[in-house]
Amino acid sequence: MEQHSDNSPGAVQEKAGGAGSSPGRNGNSHPMGRVGKLAVMFWTMARIGCLTFGGGWSIIGQMQAEFVEKRGWLTEEQIIDFMSLARSFPGIMIINMSVLCGYAMEGAAGALSAALGLSAPAVIAIGLVTYFYSSLKSNPYVEKVLNGVRCVVIPIILQAAWKLKNKSLISTMSWLLFAAAFCVCAFTGVSKPAVIVAGAAAGLVIWGKGGNHDTV
Amino acid sequence: MILFELFLSFMKIGFFSFGGMTMIPVINDEVLVHGWMTMDEVLDIVAVAEMTPGSLGINCATFVGLRTAGLPGAFSATLGVMMPSLTLCMAAAHFIMKLKGNQTLENIMNGVRPVSMGMLLAVAVTLGQTTFWAEGAGISLSGLRWNLVFIATVCGFLMFRWKLSIPRAILLAAVLGLAAG
Repeated sequence: MEQHSDNSPGAVQEKAGGAGSSPGRNGNSHPMGRVGKLAVMFWTMARIGCLTFGGGWSIIGQMQAEFVEKRGWLTEEQIIDFMSLARSFPGIMIINMSVLCGYAMEGAAGALSAALGLSAPAVIAIGLVTYFYSSLKSNPYVEKVLNGVRCVVIPIILQAAWKLKNKSLISTMSWLLFAAAFCVCAFTGVSKPAVIVAGAAAGLVIWGKGGNHDTV
Repeated sequence: MILFELFLSFMKIGFFSFGGMTMIPVINDEVLVHGWMTMDEVLDIVAVAEMTPGSLGINCATFVGLRTAGLPGAFSATLGVMMPSLTLCMAAAHFIMKLKGNQTLENIMNGVRPVSMGMLLAVAVTLGQTTFWAEGAGISLSGLRWNLVFIATVCGFLMFRWKLSIPRAILLAAVLGLAAG
């Protein structure tokens, strides 16, 4: 910890001026040191993992609040980019998301600590629920609480979308892509990875010819 | 060698599914073939997964592992189902970080970002349909579960207007659910 303390002002400076620079991959300059940062990531992800109900999409809002707003270890662009990757890759979306974000923050060790942190509460909870399954199954209060929790996932997603829109919807063309993707995803059964690949192709075609957001 | 079999099976489940309910048929195949569970038990997992935090895949792996080989089984199955994330996504993350600032990647991402925002908003709409209307009731004003709309509105208002934190909002929703769910 001591040998890194001289880097602390640099870390603060980078955070202050770091709109485009990556806040991750600079674990050594973190005042807590690398192990401390990994521990904070594990603990934060474990807390997030306690509260991922209803498909887990609320994780986007939670990670945005914890790692972008509170700690500045990720950028809003990274959250958006990783969200689309996490949804396109096989496996479990929220584990994919935590591996991608963990890797961006602290390399392979970060990815592992984020993924294990996120799944720890689930593993413990399953152990308990399996044990008490029959009594929980017939308990009407469990259903009521879960109904309430499912409701709040919707405003959490809307809030995350609201906060991330400034970094993704920056031109007329991007608003059009957004609207098209929304309609396709909400009203048709087209697979999500296909939609994202289509978005990538559209990006290549629209901005690939030297265009930028000001001219398109 | 049951631990290794569990690991392999769940790794297969991970690689051949895209999370959530799409995992059910794949899980069904694997655990039935091995005789680890019956069809009824697979349906029970879905209910258990709904009751607990975490994704269906992790919950299912833990549940099956625990049933067949105790705690070590739970660990190997869970690690197995996490393998696609730990390999493919790790490689993707590495690749993305390496190519930072590359113009072609930026162009691609300019297209992907608005699309994933559209996808995110669509998730909210789909979740709204399944949450606010009773199953199989059809989308009509009379079938709307007003108490749940009320909970979502109150929580959403407090989050947007008074910056209620997400964990507190979830807690509030649980309490409101207990009272009016």
